[in-house]
Amino acid sequence: MIASLYRRAGRLPGSRPARAGQRHEGLVGWSFALPFMVFFTVFMAGPIVAALVTSFTDLRVTDIRDPLNVNLVGVDNYLDVLRSNVFHKAATNTVIFVLVGIPLTMALGLLAAVGLNSGIVKFRTVFRVGYYTPVVTSIAAVAVVWRMLLGAEVGLINGILSGFGITGPRWLTDPSLALGSLIVMAAWRNLGFLMIIFLAGLQAIPRHLYEAAEVDGAGRWHQFWKVTLPMLRPTMLFAAVITGIGYLQFFEEPFVMTQGGPLNSTLSVAYHAYNQFSFGNYGYTAAVAYLLFVAIALLTLFWFKLFRPNT
Amino acid sequence: MKRKALLAAVAAAVLLMAACGRDEEPAGTSQPSEVSGPVEGEITVWAMGTEGEYLHVLAEDFMAEYPGTTVTVTPVPWDAAHDRIVNAIAAGEVPDVSQIGTTWMGEFGAMGGLDPVPSSIDPGQFFQGAWETTVVDGVSYGVPWYVSAHVLYYRTDLAEAAGVDSPPANWDELRNLAEGAKANGAQYGINLETGVSGAWQTWVTFFWQQGGEFLDPDGETFTLDSPACVAALGLYKEFFDAGLSPDSPSDVPVETRFADGQVASFISGPWMMGIVENAGAEPDTWTVTHLPAEQSGTSFVGGANLSVFADSDNKPLAWAFIEYLSEPEVQAKWYETASALPAVQAAWDEPALATDPRVAVFGEQLQDAKAPPAIPTWEQVAAVIDDQIEQVAVGGAAPEEACQEMQAGAESIGTGL
Repeated sequence: MIASLYRRAGRLPGSRPARAGQRHEGLVGWSFALPFMVFFTVFMAGPIVAALVTSFTDLRVTDIRDPLNVNLVGVDNYLDVLRSNVFHKAATNTVIFVLVGIPLTMALGLLAAVGLNSGIVKFRTVFRVGYYTPVVTSIAAVAVVWRMLLGAEVGLINGILSGFGITGPRWLTDPSLALGSLIVMAAWRNLGFLMIIFLAGLQAIPRHLYEAAEVDGAGRWHQFWKVTLPMLRPTMLFAAVITGIGYLQFFEEPFVMTQGGPLNSTLSVAYHAYNQFSFGNYGYTAAVAYLLFVAIALLTLFWFKLFRPNT
Repeated sequence: MKRKALLAAVAAAVLLMAACGRDEEPAGTSQPSEVSGPVEGEITVWAMGTEGEYLHVLAEDFMAEYPGTTVTVTPVPWDAAHDRIVNAIAAGEVPDVSQIGTTWMGEFGAMGGLDPVPSSIDPGQFFQGAWETTVVDGVSYGVPWYVSAHVLYYRTDLAEAAGVDSPPANWDELRNLAEGAKANGAQYGINLETGVSGAWQTWVTFFWQQGGEFLDPDGETFTLDSPACVAALGLYKEFFDAGLSPDSPSDVPVETRFADGQVASFISGPWMMGIVENAGAEPDTWTVTHLPAEQSGTSFVGGANLSVFADSDNKPLAWAFIEYLSEPEVQAKWYETASALPAVQAAWDEPALATDPRVAVFGEQLQDAKAPPAIPTWEQVAAVIDDQIEQVAVGGAAPEEACQEMQAGAESIGTGL
């Protein structure tokens, strides 16, 4: 850069030293980047490529002492996945989880953020910490608490319901309710993170836009609808992408709460992959993982289209 | 730059793929080995759960008997054990000896990670059902260490209130007991498992007792779509349809509900004896008995085996340690130390075991107990069976359909041999 400035100014005699300097600069640059490059190649790109190759082979746990001693099976693993009834069930559950869970979590996160940004003045910090705590709490601890809440026989919710003479449903062991219970739990766990993101977005909206809207006679509802939401578009995009990536890989909640049951009603795609991995079907597992990867990429693309800036 | 990186990745992928290809012969040795060499030096032993906690007691005895040897016991949690063994075998960085869950033998044996049992060890000293768990494709890759068998736990007071004075000899009698107990205040007559991983261990006794088998005699074809399967699932389903068994796992553990008289009976292994006592059950209100019988009284044999790894550096000492653990007196001492039932039949004559009538029930049941086939894909086949049991018990599926699903699922998985 500096060398080229000199050259343009015509102060540099000859071109040879300039090239040497460029090369030197390049070397310095590469040497700074080298640790990351090595780390990335060995620990990220390597496994990613290896998993892709695995998804086209019949690698099983019994081959692990000699992993190259396997057959290429083309797209058989992918066909097996797409034909599997259990995978269909898992995919359906995951789609429901994403379709209901993302809007729900975003709406709750936005509600909390707007409330804390304008409405609630007292104890604001207490509320912020309160909403954010679930995000940084270990899933194991969360599971214990939610089991106490949702337990059919000794749960707190059903205990309160029975006080009113109502026999509460089996939140976690009824096939028609279990997924819904987990969606609510996931929304509760993640809304704090989105709240922080939305708070930052809200505070970046220039005050004068609201003042102008007020002058034009817009009420609070109109201000929210016509100023806040459009100005939050980039923030919403970020929130939707992050939540989408997390929710498509939905795993922890069923893992700690229901083990995918009852009747596979809370089995997710990631959980299905986990099960197959523990059965030692590495080729099949890699195929599921790559299908999930494609789904995540497609969903992210969709969010970019949906929240594309209007201007 | 981007294109170059992509190109490099594709090239790497293609190179890797080109290197793939299966040899005709599967890896792994398949002949019983002859171990010779001095018993000296050091070995490392992995043991899980309670066994990991107490095995050092026996290791110290062993070292006193064989001076110049060092046996290091490493406790491994059960949850992590399977993956740690897989990783150890893959990396070649193995302990010398490990406790192996009976249903993992097929997998590790087929991986070529375990050493075949030397011919100096006599299979006849162990319970037959337990020995069969070590045999993968005709070769034994370990010896049974301790065993368990499922038996029937039931509340004698509830049974008497229902007019049942003797242990149920067949499933009709057990059903009478369950119905009677329910009529006399118990919430459930029996607790049969469904919707949990491992429910097959309860159901499998129904299956075997109807004459069912998982594989045909040559060990290659699954035989799940059979009249025995339909009959066994049908019998299982009756208990749920009649409301005699809870249709989902409860928040309250079964031992508590058993001690409270909420559940009148259940099927489980010896480890529940202490748990039931600790749950506060009065000693004279319950007992254990041989499972009710149909065509046979067959039960499920569980427990753990001991294996030497193929990559072990000190096989003479490793096998010597295992042979020591198989001596009847040592097996009896192990029962006193860790409450693990001996896999060696002669150990049952030792005073520690011969005096307790409840223990005798397990000894009797072990004479008629079997294990599922030791195939590498067993855990996966078992998950399919678990699924179908749940479909029948609470999902409303017909037993015939479920058996066809089991068969189709098992066939698509294969035996892995």
